[in-house]
Parts: sequence; structure tokens; C-alpha cells
Amino acid sequence: MNPVTAQLLLVGGLVAYGAVLLILPRIARRGLLFGVYVAEEGARGGEAVRITRGWYVGMVAALIASAAVGEWLTLRHPGEPLGGSASLALLGALTPLVYLRAHLQARAIAAPGAPAAVAALVPDARRSLLFPLIAVGAGILGGLVSIVYAWVHYGDLPAMIPTHFGAERQPDVWSPRSFWSVMLLPLTALVLGTALGVMACLIARAKRAIRFPDRGISVQAQLRFRQAMANFVSGVVVLVTLMLTLMSVYSVRTAMGLAPGLPPAIPFLLAIMLTYALGGTLFLALRYGQGGARLERAAGAAPLTNGLADNARWVLGMFYVNRDDPSLFVEKRFGFGYTLNFGNPRAIALLATLLIIVFAMILIGVFLPHARVPR
Amino acid sequence: MDAPLVILLDPDRGDAAYEQIAAQIRTAIATGALQAGTILPGVRGLAADLGVNLNTVARAYRLLEEQGFVRIRDRSGVEVVTPARQPSRETRADLEQQLWELLVRMRQAGLSSADVRRVLQAQLGRLERA
Repeated sequence: MNPVTAQLLLVGGLVAYGAVLLILPRIARRGLLFGVYVAEEGARGGEAVRITRGWYVGMVAALIASAAVGEWLTLRHPGEPLGGSASLALLGALTPLVYLRAHLQARAIAAPGAPAAVAALVPDARRSLLFPLIAVGAGILGGLVSIVYAWVHYGDLPAMIPTHFGAERQPDVWSPRSFWSVMLLPLTALVLGTALGVMACLIARAKRAIRFPDRGISVQAQLRFRQAMANFVSGVVVLVTLMLTLMSVYSVRTAMGLAPGLPPAIPFLLAIMLTYALGGTLFLALRYGQGGARLERAAGAAPLTNGLADNARWVLGMFYVNRDDPSLFVEKRFGFGYTLNFGNPRAIALLATLLIIVFAMILIGVFLPHARVPR
Repeated sequence: MDAPLVILLDPDRGDAAYEQIAAQIRTAIATGALQAGTILPGVRGLAADLGVNLNTVARAYRLLEEQGFVRIRDRSGVEVVTPARQPSRETRADLEQQLWELLVRMRQAGLSSADVRRVLQAQLGRLERA
């Protein structure tokens, strides 16, 4: 890779990652401080301001250290992507430490006692599932198209088929034709597209966090946020499915000599997907805030209720554990988006299934016999 | 913005969670806040929002169905029903027994017959105004 491009990618990646991390306290729900419910007045107090300032200082220091390490490695090993990977890995390792420090400090001012639980007697609107269901349909359809296309042409494939493509969209790794070398990518398209679509459906029905009494402002904020988030994830699913389907079909076409490699649409789609994912996340974060926090400002000082306000239900402010709660997905206490209810066996089973499938796909890909030589 | 109807579970209250849920829905129906034909949230959705076990909400809905406040349908959920035109003999006997037990408790708590009449008149007026 061009050293200038490598530098630009390194700096751009760090700036994007750092910007997301730095705005987290700015978009957080009132009353929550680094995964701890400290109540609305506690979140505005001097101690909360001091802890938040510590987070900013810690994160800026982590960003500078990561950038310095990345720059040093890039200069020592020009042409290798080592610097970018190392700097992001270092930032990924330092961030939990800075968070943990802030979290432990926040625990000292945690709100005492178990909060009330509040639920609105408003059934979910049916239309909230429209886009997520379209996403599931797209995931299944894209996966099936990939599988059928590969299956129909299986007999026409040569003894060696491409199983990896380089940055120039040309095949750079070849494997002997077998069920797994042909079907791995189509199956990945099916599993990944469907799983992400199902996730969008589950997000559309995720647990609501409500303030009370607040004239219903937080309920409306939650409904709007969930809808926007589910629609956004559905868009990501459709783009991912489209890209995987194209890659799958074109890898078969390349093997049969009908195409020189992946189509030019792939890097274009990848750029659209990354822009959509990053831009959409920033837009949702700034427009809605954590779980719609920015829409519920008019709720005043109404306290938070339910699981989000219950400190006893959260481990390190990151992991929600409630055996009674049938929720699969729960809004994150710190950060943006949703996390699993680790007390729900169905949520554990869902996570385990996804991890097993992903690791199995990776292992199959790694252990497939392959060669980095042209046919 | 109109405040939506909510159910509040107070962990400090002595009564069971399912009783708190059923009592608040009964009150909402009696006061007209929940009209006949209204579809209540599904068991899973309400249990998830409240962070309680599915059985807690299911038990509350079953109790409300036994008492004639809702009808549980397989697919379309739980529907608020119109009050019966006439109570059955068993229902009437059961309610009279419950009223008797309440009156006994009121007497034991120190309310005179006049106090009980006043309370009954006031609560009946509240119900009729709804």
C-alpha cells in the first residue's frame, strides 16, 4: 500500500474512532454516568464533571499514544499495514481501561436502592417491523441466490477456484474445488444477511427505558429512536447482503473465466456501506442521543426507571443480567446501541450460535487447502 | 402531549407484582382510561418493559380474565371487554362474599357504619362519573 495512503487511513481511522468515543458522554442519557445510574441531579454535580473530565483526558492521551505507536511502526515498516492495525489495537486495549477507571469512580456516587419499573400500556405499532422484515427477506433472498448460483454452476467449475481477492479485485488465493471452497461465501451471505436482519427485528422490539412521570415524552422518544435504529440497521443489512451476493456470484464467474475478478461495484458498494454505517451512526447519535436521550430533554428531571436505572442488574455497567427479564436486547448503559440480556438463556443461546457459526466459517476458510499462485 | 397510561411496579410495596399490574389495569378500565376493545400489550412485551418474568404478566392477565375485565385471544392479544349486562349467580355470590370480607376489615380498622356508607357513596360516585 502507498505509504501516504497508509498514513491517511491511520489518521482517518483514529480520528473517526476517537470522535465516536469522545462524544459518548455528550450523548448519554441524563442520570447515567459511565455505566452507573447516579440519578439526574448526581449527573450534573461537581463529582460527575470531574469524572467526565478524567475520561476526556484519558481518551485524548490514549489517542495520542496510539497514533504515536502507529506512526512509528509505519515509518519502520513502510508498505505494511502494521502501523494502522497496531494503533487501533492499542486504542482498543486502552479504551476499556479509561472506561473502567471512570466507571469505578462513578460507582461512589451511585443512586441507592431499587428503582420503580414502569411500562406504557401502548402496544407496539405493527409498522415498526416493516423495514427489518424487508431486511430479513433481503438476507434470505441474497443468500439463496448465491447458493443456487454456485450450486447450478458447480459442475462447470475448474479444479482450482479463487477463494480470496486482493485490493485490485483480482483473485490472489486459489483452492481445490470442494463443497466448502465453493459454498463458504454463499453460506456466509445467507447466514450473515439473515442474522443481521433478525437482529434488526429484535432491536425494533427491544426493551423500553422510561422516565416517570414525564407526560409520555420518554415513551415517544424511545419509540422514535428504536424505529430509526431498526431502519438504519435494516439499511446496513441490505447493503451487506447486496455486497456478499455480488462477491459470491462473481467469484463463481471468475472461476469459470466469465469475469476477470470482482466487479468495480464492490469497492463502490463498500465505500457506500462504510459511509452509511459511520455517517448513520454519527447522525443517530447526534440527532437522537443514547436511546433517544436528546428527544426526551423536555421530560425535565423525571427519573429513569426499570433496568437502566437498576445498578444491581449491571456488571461493570456494560453487561445487563436479569434472569426474570424476557428481553433479549437492552439499550446500552454506556455507549450507543443495544446489548444482550446475559441473564436470559435465549440471549446466551443466540450469542453462542452466532459465535459458533462465525468461528466455524473462519476456521473453514483458514483450513481450506489453498495456494497463493495463479492457475 | 397526553400522558400515556402506564403501569408502575413499586418494589417497596408489599403486594405481589402480578397483583399490582392487575389492580392498575382494573382501575384504568373502571375509570374509562382503557375503553372496551382496547388491545393491551402482549405478555412478552409488557414483561420485557417491566423487567419481570413472563409468568407474572400472564398471571395478571389470567386474573383479569377471570374477573371479567379482559378476554385473552390466541393471536390478537389481550382485549378489554365491555362490562357484563348481568352478573351470573356465582359471580354475584363471589363478589358479595368479597364485599362482606372488606366490610369486616373496615369495621375492624375502626370505621363506623356511617363512615363505611360515606366511603361507599364516594367511591360509587367516582365510578359513575368515569
